[in-house]
Amino acid sequence: MEDDTLNPNLTESTEDASLQKKHSSMVERLSKRHQTGSDNSESSSPSFESVSSFLSRFNLLKTTIESNLAQSQSLSSQLKPHFDNIAASISDLEKLVAENSYFLPSYDVRSSLKTVSDLKQKLDNLNSQLIPKKKFAFKNKGAKKDSVFIPQQKPSTVANVVSEKTSSIAVRDSPGFRNETGQVLIQDCKGLEVGEFTVSDLDSCEVRIIGTVRALFVHRLKNCKVYVGPVMGSILIEEVEGCVFVMASHQIRIHNAKKTDFYLRVRSRPIIEDSDGVRFAPYCFTYQGIEDDLRGAALYQETGNWANVDDFKWLRAVQSPNWSVLPENERVRIVDVSNMNNGKEEI
Amino acid sequence: MGLLSIIRKIKRKEKEMRILMVGLDNSGKTTIVLKINGEDTSVISPTLGFNIKTITYQKYTLNIWDVGGQKTIRSYWRNYFEQTDGLVWVVDSSDLRRLDDCKMELDNLLKEERLSGSSLLILANKQDIKGALTPQDIAKVLNLEAMDKTRHWNIVGCSAYTGEGLLEGFDWLVQDIASRIYMLA
Repeated sequence: MEDDTLNPNLTESTEDASLQKKHSSMVERLSKRHQTGSDNSESSSPSFESVSSFLSRFNLLKTTIESNLAQSQSLSSQLKPHFDNIAASISDLEKLVAENSYFLPSYDVRSSLKTVSDLKQKLDNLNSQLIPKKKFAFKNKGAKKDSVFIPQQKPSTVANVVSEKTSSIAVRDSPGFRNETGQVLIQDCKGLEVGEFTVSDLDSCEVRIIGTVRALFVHRLKNCKVYVGPVMGSILIEEVEGCVFVMASHQIRIHNAKKTDFYLRVRSRPIIEDSDGVRFAPYCFTYQGIEDDLRGAALYQETGNWANVDDFKWLRAVQSPNWSVLPENERVRIVDVSNMNNGKEEI
Repeated sequence: MGLLSIIRKIKRKEKEMRILMVGLDNSGKTTIVLKINGEDTSVISPTLGFNIKTITYQKYTLNIWDVGGQKTIRSYWRNYFEQTDGLVWVVDSSDLRRLDDCKMELDNLLKEERLSGSSLLILANKQDIKGALTPQDIAKVLNLEAMDKTRHWNIVGCSAYTGEGLLEGFDWLVQDIASRIYMLA
């Protein structure tokens, strides 16, 4: 049973133990339902179809979370994982409401959601009370050259535009890098108005995007290093393996990533889905004028969200095994391309 | 529309409408809802679960259900189908590669019997991004003309970033629902 790992603080009284059993079986069921995926039928869902049994389940979970919250004050160490667990339980609770909302009276949906948001608020308050904020420091260790280079340096190939086939309609060419092996690909967006930019089907390449783009799509990359300036909108990454990404954006979604490191600055919580062996660290890219670009994109402030990863394939009370924080001694230093104008490498 | 459901609507004290927002992840559903409601759209995390917003729009109360679009949670969409008056399908017009996915998910949704009576608004979002497809192109890709003739539908280009097109879209949706369920005074 995972009772012990879920809530180590809750095994003292028998009442709590029974609470906990219910909680863990609940989590179990949620995750089972989760694994069955789209083929699950109405009958396999944890819907109670009865308001009262929903409410009693809901209240049990709520009590568990509240008692966990209450214990935070007396814990001195291990606060972070403790809070993470609570946050996960709260999102389980939210999901429970979601799954049953179709038969609940709207009053109950509203009041349940209110409870959920109150719990979140409490957790936030405790979090900021008990865990001191990390100080933000923008590391600017001189204009050191980065030590990350791929062997086959070549003068830049500037934004080669390859038409992409879409089945149903002939779509006009869109800017991007596609179908390359062993290249250094540089896009300088300074002074250009770049909308969406696509990076796809690359093997062993290094990609640098200087300046600001509105949206970035990344698809099918292997053993690549990708450094990008601020992205005003969102980044969507699919099917990447053995890569390093250094990127800043308002939203980041990562699907089907394997053994890849992400150095992120992101205003909201990054998410992963169907991924494993992915690691996260803070943003570390710089070039001449990046501060202004970051400010212009409202990405100058470090939010710490690079570590607040939501795993859609792991909606459970314990830390997802699919991602981790990249240990500090394994992180790359600042990647600085200030002195490399348009691929004129001087090594 | 059955007699029962008409009575149900008439019985409601407020003129409520239930709107369901769906679409692929990254299409901008949450941003659209917050923008319409005049809220800050600068920090929005991908939706893990769902959000509900109650918005007073003209003389109607809209209950907008904004459901997460990540692949893993699309199978939960059906939990929200019951009693939906208006369906809003949001498309990221700049995501050319996933238009096929987008079409497939929409086709699946429209097969759903519980949604057969609801008005369908397609929002071709992110028109502000250079390189985005026009609503006309999106309509072609999604093959909207081939839709069941009984369905009330409309496609509108919009930008959740600037707000352009959102009111036009929701005006149509609300008017269409209102006239359909005999609530026009």
